[in-house]
Amino acid sequence: MKKAIFTTTLLFAIIGIAFAQNGVKKKRPLPFDFGRVVINNYSEASHIAPVVFDHWLHRAKFTCRLCHVDIGFAMKAGATDIKARDNINGYYCGTCHDGTRRVFADTLMFSSCKEEFAQKDETCDRCHSSGKNVKKKYDFREFVKGWPRERFGNGVNWEKAEERELIIPYDYIEGVSIKREKLIAQQDFKIAPKVEGMPDIIFSHEKHTLWNGCELCHPEIFTGIKKGLTKYSMLDIYEGKYCGVCHINVAFPLLDCQRCHTEKVQ
Amino acid sequence: MKNFSRFTLLSLLFLYLFFGNCIVGNFSSVYAQDDWKQEYSSVCAKTQNAMILTPEELKSYIDRCDKLLALINELEGEQAATEKKVYTKRVKMCRELYQFALEYKEHK
Repeated sequence: MKKAIFTTTLLFAIIGIAFAQNGVKKKRPLPFDFGRVVINNYSEASHIAPVVFDHWLHRAKFTCRLCHVDIGFAMKAGATDIKARDNINGYYCGTCHDGTRRVFADTLMFSSCKEEFAQKDETCDRCHSSGKNVKKKYDFREFVKGWPRERFGNGVNWEKAEERELIIPYDYIEGVSIKREKLIAQQDFKIAPKVEGMPDIIFSHEKHTLWNGCELCHPEIFTGIKKGLTKYSMLDIYEGKYCGVCHINVAFPLLDCQRCHTEKVQ
Repeated sequence: MKNFSRFTLLSLLFLYLFFGNCIVGNFSSVYAQDDWKQEYSSVCAKTQNAMILTPEELKSYIDRCDKLLALINELEGEQAATEKKVYTKRVKMCRELYQFALEYKEHK
């Protein structure tokens, strides 16, 4: 009898540990994994590893708008439908990764998807690295050393990093971006939460348009032409809609409640 | 002398019409390839200030975007597939923003 009870308890403990490890609770990504996107539209079908894209490395140098508006990357992984030919033609990754541009302390950008590359070329591995043990050129911890800290996401407060000029994101690429007039930011506004007792959300148009411009959010993400017209809940946001388009995968995550719910309870 | 001048003038006119037209024609065709890109740069340059444009201006920009989209859709050549994909998305983004701003203004 004692043996049966012991066996049953052991079995439940093992099942419990197994579930805790794998599926019941969603695992929080590590700081260097936060914002990582795997692109596999055609890679595996072409017998090459899928692309691993790190947002932290790119957002340190470029605004969201530059890539998602000017270059035209979609806001959802895989939705851009990038082909090697597009990069070879000088679009998408090939816009900057053309072997001639210089960024990051005047470092020459490597070329993406050149026709002369053999598939086992180590340059391919710099992007096509999913499932491979590729030593990255930039080490996350070294890269963000001394930058203002944040509790969640990448563990970096990007806003403060820009304020302190630790990052100065490019917002214009000659021949790619349009020369735009100075942006006139719309007014900030309050959004009343549905849960009683939660502080109001203060939405800053200025903070958002600084990196995103207007057309990144309107009307694709926020369709309502009037404040309050687009109805959404935290559940929608957690499903990756509305604020969740960015604030799940790249911008500070939803766990950081008081970054949005900033107003004191009246 | 008079005949010679007339001959010279006619020759020059012929040369101008023939070669000049060829040269102008060539430039035009080279530029024609990029005309739509210039139009794109011009039509999408106002997205920053879409909210301060008048409804008439917005309608005009939307109309230009539609014409541009039709042009992009007809692109041919080696890079056409990529250009269509990239620029269709980019033009649609600014067209939809102008439409958004127009609807905002009309419902205000």
